[in-house]
Amino acid sequence: MSYCVNCGVELDPSAKTCPLCGTPAWHPELDAPPYFPANSAAVQPASRREAAILLTAMLVSVSLCCGLLNLFLPTDRPWSLYVIGAAVMLWVWFTLPMVLRRLPVFFRLTADVAAIGIYVWLISIDLGGSRWFRGLALPMNGWAGVLVFLLSFLLRGGRRSTLSAIALIIGAAGLLAMGIEFCIDRYFRGVWQPGWSLIVLAVCVGLIIPLRIVRRVPSLREEARRRFNL
Amino acid sequence: MAKPDSQWYRLDNAGILYSALQREEYSAIYRFSALMTEPVRPAALQNAIDRVLPRFPSFAVRIRRGLFWYYLEPNTAPGPFLKADVANPCQPVRFREDNGWLVRFYYYRNRISLEVFHALSDGAGALIFFRTLLAEYLRQTGISVPAGNGVLDLEEPPRKDELEDAYARYAGRHALGLRRMPKAYANTGTPEPFYTFHVTMGFVPLEKLREAARSYDASITEYLSAVLIHVLLEKQRREHPHKERPVALAVPINLRSWFPSETVRNFITTVRPSIDPALGDYTFPEIVSQVRHYMKLHIHRQELQAAFTGNVRFTKNFFLRAVPVFLKNPVMALNYYLFGVRPYSCTYTNPGAFTVPPEMAPHIQGMEVVLGQATVPRCHCASISYGDIMEITFAGTQAETDTERDFFRFLVREGIPVRIESNR
Repeated sequence: MSYCVNCGVELDPSAKTCPLCGTPAWHPELDAPPYFPANSAAVQPASRREAAILLTAMLVSVSLCCGLLNLFLPTDRPWSLYVIGAAVMLWVWFTLPMVLRRLPVFFRLTADVAAIGIYVWLISIDLGGSRWFRGLALPMNGWAGVLVFLLSFLLRGGRRSTLSAIALIIGAAGLLAMGIEFCIDRYFRGVWQPGWSLIVLAVCVGLIIPLRIVRRVPSLREEARRRFNL
Repeated sequence: MAKPDSQWYRLDNAGILYSALQREEYSAIYRFSALMTEPVRPAALQNAIDRVLPRFPSFAVRIRRGLFWYYLEPNTAPGPFLKADVANPCQPVRFREDNGWLVRFYYYRNRISLEVFHALSDGAGALIFFRTLLAEYLRQTGISVPAGNGVLDLEEPPRKDELEDAYARYAGRHALGLRRMPKAYANTGTPEPFYTFHVTMGFVPLEKLREAARSYDASITEYLSAVLIHVLLEKQRREHPHKERPVALAVPINLRSWFPSETVRNFITTVRPSIDPALGDYTFPEIVSQVRHYMKLHIHRQELQAAFTGNVRFTKNFFLRAVPVFLKNPVMALNYYLFGVRPYSCTYTNPGAFTVPPEMAPHIQGMEVVLGQATVPRCHCASISYGDIMEITFAGTQAETDTERDFFRFLVREGIPVRIESNR
């Protein structure tokens, strides 16, 4: 029979430490049978296979119906591409995470952005807009994809503090604005003349600086945590 | 159960809530365990399970998702099968796994455990089931245990009164409505993965506990509630929050004492004893007094009835009934967070003394109760007494042990010896 010298409670004969405070027990009986079983229940993630199959079947069915209708009914436009593109996008957004649960979130988000790119590409086929797709939509979508990838990579696992995470998101928004204006200027004027995006970037930097200061100074950081329940 | 002949059953109020809260990593589960004097004989226990379950049709069900509500239907699949116990009890149930069973049975050395999904039954109902199961197990091992004294007769068919929705039967004309309750001290800790379930049990002599409670002119439930509030107030103060919030407990009340019912399904409501540190410092005797008077003032037939009448009206409202369940669930989960989680710091439930017929008593040496995980990483407290021992369990998915450590240290300082067992 052993007691915890800190808590004053009687411990299980086999306990090596007090479960309440972690104080080592005096001469535990290591061969005494433990009060609780040692093996833990292996809890598998809930299966979403059925839901994924159902959703996939629905999207494929809708795409097939629209595709066939478009093929056999006399129309002058490939309108079914809109439906098929939307189905592909929805599949990547909702079904892929169900099937590949262990896919890191930054790959998943990048796939989501790529799905948007594919949808826009299909629209450009219908509208005959391969020029604007290559010159405007693709670079903008690619830049957004790069930023989303980087952001989700930097924020993975929730290891960053809330303040750092907010600063990173604001920074990414500023860079996105810069990239969008760059693409627009290159496409319409052929030369980059930064204007409105600089204002957005300056505002973002203005927001990031106090956040970084609060993050760096312990007393300010503690005060922010207290005030905002971080 | 509303329509047993039509082979599907409506959930009661509490069942509707618990099934709406169901997630992959959370289920409302609780466990009762009996420590026998002899090692458990698995074959005899499995026989007992097979014989007892048909007598309790409300436990032998699976849950199905309808368009507007969940519903229960008799489970004809094989099982439920007795399993060797695990270190992390009260794991979430999955409606489509384990053949759809919502009750589980475990054994380990001389311990028999029953885990129940809360949508099926409350603690009082599950204890009737458990007592009958233990009686049948002892019969299977050659010990004669007659029916009666809380043990149901397996030879008689299930009675209609045992399967009734007592909420619907006793719903009155006046509903309490949703009252705004202030946000309480959250008492949350560092979350661990949902399958890491920490259980710490304290065993205390019932007589010593009763003496201590009597010295404050309180019942054991009031005394232990006050101890819990006291340690949570001190814990909050140590954390130096910007604003100290009230410490409030959710204390489930068995409604069968006020509204006679034989139901083995849910029939509980909760009361909320609390102390607001913004009003000033309270000594421990003052906290006991506050809790005691709160219980006396608020636990009466009219207020309890008004409390559950509102919930019954919710389930009978035509417009709400017409909302599909996938839309209703998130709203109910938000509602539960606002009115069932945010205004509380901890849950403390005390099903009271577990009594058995005299023929069974020499073969059972103790009882344990574990309340499953909360929706947030904080501990739940539950207690049950058997013979001259009160067992108090703190269980949760949080890494810290502050609440249980302070609680049991307080009891030791009060002169009550405590024996601790834990799976940490």
